[in-house]
Amino acid sequence: MAKQYSRRNLDFLLKEVIQVDQLIKYPYFQDYTPDMFDMVLDTAEEIADKILRPSYIDSDRKQPELINGKTKVHPAVKDYVKAMGDSGMIGAIFPYEDGGQQLPTVIGAANEFIRGAAHNSFVMFTGLTTGTAHLILSFGSEKLKETFASRMITGEWSGTMCLTEPQAGSSLSDVVTTASPQADGSFKIKGQKVFISAGDHDVTGNIINLVLARIDGAPLGTKGISLFVVPKYRADDQGNFSIDNDVVSTGIYHKMGQKATPAMHLTFGDKDDSVGYLVGEPHKGLQYMFQMMNEARLGVGMGATYIASSAYYASLEYAKERPQGRRLNNRNLEEEQTFIINHPDVKRMLLSQKAMVEGCLGLLLECYFWEDMIHASGAKSEEGQRYQMLLDLLTTVAKTYPAESGIKSVNEGLQVFGGYGYTEDFPLEQMARDVRIMSIYEGTTGIHSLNLLGRGITFQGGKAPQLLFAEMIGTIKEAQTHDDLVPYAEKLEKELGRLQKVTMHLLGIAEKGDNEVFLSDANLYMEFFGIVTVAWQWLKQGIVAKTALVTKNPTGDELAFYESKIHTMKFYFHYELVKTLSLSVRLTDPEVLTISNEMQPAI
Amino acid sequence: MKILVCITNVPDTTAKISFTDSDTKFNKAGVTYICGPYDDYALSRAVELKEQSGGTVTVLNVGEADSEQVIRKCLAIGADDAIRVNCEPTDSYFVAQQIAAIASQENYDLILMGRESIDFNGGVVHGLVGEMLGIPSLSPVMKLDIDGKTARITREIEGGKEDIEATLPLVLGCQEPIAEWKIPNMRGIMTARTKPLKVVEPTGDDLTVTRKFELPAPKGAVKMIAADEVEKLVDLLKNEAKVL
Repeated sequence: MAKQYSRRNLDFLLKEVIQVDQLIKYPYFQDYTPDMFDMVLDTAEEIADKILRPSYIDSDRKQPELINGKTKVHPAVKDYVKAMGDSGMIGAIFPYEDGGQQLPTVIGAANEFIRGAAHNSFVMFTGLTTGTAHLILSFGSEKLKETFASRMITGEWSGTMCLTEPQAGSSLSDVVTTASPQADGSFKIKGQKVFISAGDHDVTGNIINLVLARIDGAPLGTKGISLFVVPKYRADDQGNFSIDNDVVSTGIYHKMGQKATPAMHLTFGDKDDSVGYLVGEPHKGLQYMFQMMNEARLGVGMGATYIASSAYYASLEYAKERPQGRRLNNRNLEEEQTFIINHPDVKRMLLSQKAMVEGCLGLLLECYFWEDMIHASGAKSEEGQRYQMLLDLLTTVAKTYPAESGIKSVNEGLQVFGGYGYTEDFPLEQMARDVRIMSIYEGTTGIHSLNLLGRGITFQGGKAPQLLFAEMIGTIKEAQTHDDLVPYAEKLEKELGRLQKVTMHLLGIAEKGDNEVFLSDANLYMEFFGIVTVAWQWLKQGIVAKTALVTKNPTGDELAFYESKIHTMKFYFHYELVKTLSLSVRLTDPEVLTISNEMQPAI
Repeated sequence: MKILVCITNVPDTTAKISFTDSDTKFNKAGVTYICGPYDDYALSRAVELKEQSGGTVTVLNVGEADSEQVIRKCLAIGADDAIRVNCEPTDSYFVAQQIAAIASQENYDLILMGRESIDFNGGVVHGLVGEMLGIPSLSPVMKLDIDGKTARITREIEGGKEDIEATLPLVLGCQEPIAEWKIPNMRGIMTARTKPLKVVEPTGDDLTVTRKFELPAPKGAVKMIAADEVEKLVDLLKNEAKVL
């Protein structure tokens, strides 16, 4: 199988664009040196090479099975979780006092990128455990931390998040799972949860479910939802976790992709014997859960990007080896066939994938870096609050745009393979199935688009977009100091102006009080916003590459790398950024055709 | 038990090889370096032996300052300290001389290294070190157990295996499956920074000079012959490839 990602590109983004080494000067990260970050990424490569990559296809063909109430998963999952636990990677980003190593989240994310590019489905087991443990450590009592989180960090136990119910998917205000208080301070949990990733398996000794439920008599809506730790096995009198906690695997979903991770239908308290432990205060469950959901959202954006990266390198390798036809100016059938990479349409598809993967990865790593800057500079400091606002605004974009463009990107990778891409002889069909969920996980594209336009843009009088636009203007000004980049700085400036104009137009509709019209095309607004944001990322990469070409005088592969960066930046501007024109026309069009109206013909 | 593990800092197996200075020097630009894979096995077994029966593991590298990233990784895997002999590892004799000089200053029970490096693949350093120190040297070692001062060893020989019992100290060239490769963990990575890494200057003179490196001729284009054209295939093998 082809390599799945470029370490050189990862190093470029981390070391040259984001300049992650600057974190070391802050006391929170002072125990690190740059070579330690490299070692963390080397560790990810070793786990990817030895365990993940070899089982990617096999674990897709041998799906998890629910037999007599027990779920069996591919045996390599156990090796992977053990390696992650032994290497200390599961909780590496946590503070020292929580048993972590205060690893910058941006390095943790790069680590996941490497592993995920090798096997996007297995990494969910540990990703969910990290998120669950982090939630318990952030809001749980000392007892919960000591009992559960400490054993999750080592990989001994794993974690899940249980939000969705059969009647309450995106609408969490309709959650009906109940929690009845018991004399000892615990709660009896009763209800059903669906689509629970890694909700049951034979990998770890216990599974720690974080369950959203309503305490008896709680207010309706999201303000009445609390969060509970509901383990698969609870402690007996001796403190051994041997008691079956009445968490039953009712069913297993047979999914289109990511087949190695079982998606479970779980029933809690069928025998009235499922005990849960309250996390934090009552009725604040959704607020707490948002921490994990926001982390998971960046993780989903990353997921789409690493699958797209795998697909890009697979299709690139194929295009370099597959002879087919002759160049369009060559009609000499006596000559040997050319490799398909030499056909403009194939090259367009490859460049399109590269532009998506590297642009989205730049955006995601910058978001993770902001998270670290919040830690480093202090959440209450002016700098910390500035990064928090940027992160809050862009999390939804960094989830959605990579997810949507990741699907398109993998699809183009498959197209490069022609008919072979549609067969099981190559991994593209699997990647195309795997990536499809990313625009649905952790809030669909529709939900996130409503969130961006309905909340993100207007929150605190629009302060966050003002900050973001100021960042973009700073990049534009810097680009204008390089002659070759001036046309691209001007293009981004023009599109930024267009985005601001469209935003003002839509906010004008909102002011008139018609939310349905205001938000009817939020999805297209998200696309517009995402394209401009990733163009900004590309201009940043272009500046760094241009500077390196001038100051480092690179040769050989290094010269090719930086020149390729400039070329791909140009491609993004000429092929993707131009799409904003049609989006802006639609977003300012007074004709609305998607709002139900009895006078309009039925669909 | 005191164990010395000698490691090489070698180009990654996927690195593109090219030369500079009129083909007399290897071009390091853009090349990723790794610990020699066979050395990795030696280190992993050394750390396992230390975990089983205590002792210390010292990593030794003959190389320039750019080796230190690989040395730190070895410390993260579980070595206690490291020594770098500050020079270019130009030939096997010179490298063996440096190792012997360091080893003769301490009473190491075991001196482990890969059966060969993967850059020049000489495979003679362990033999030379044994000779210089006046102790036995065995290679390629696939299995190693220690019981007091006795080593029980299995090594690969032409067409089979050989079980050997030998008394410490020994020099051993290692290969798979002597141990599972170890992956550095976060705790190891965090502590590696503070573990001692001593830099010493080389002894003796480097007696060889590279006059020129040359890459193998590039692979020729592949010719596809239809399955029913056996005569054409034979003709090409005879007259073009000249292998028949």
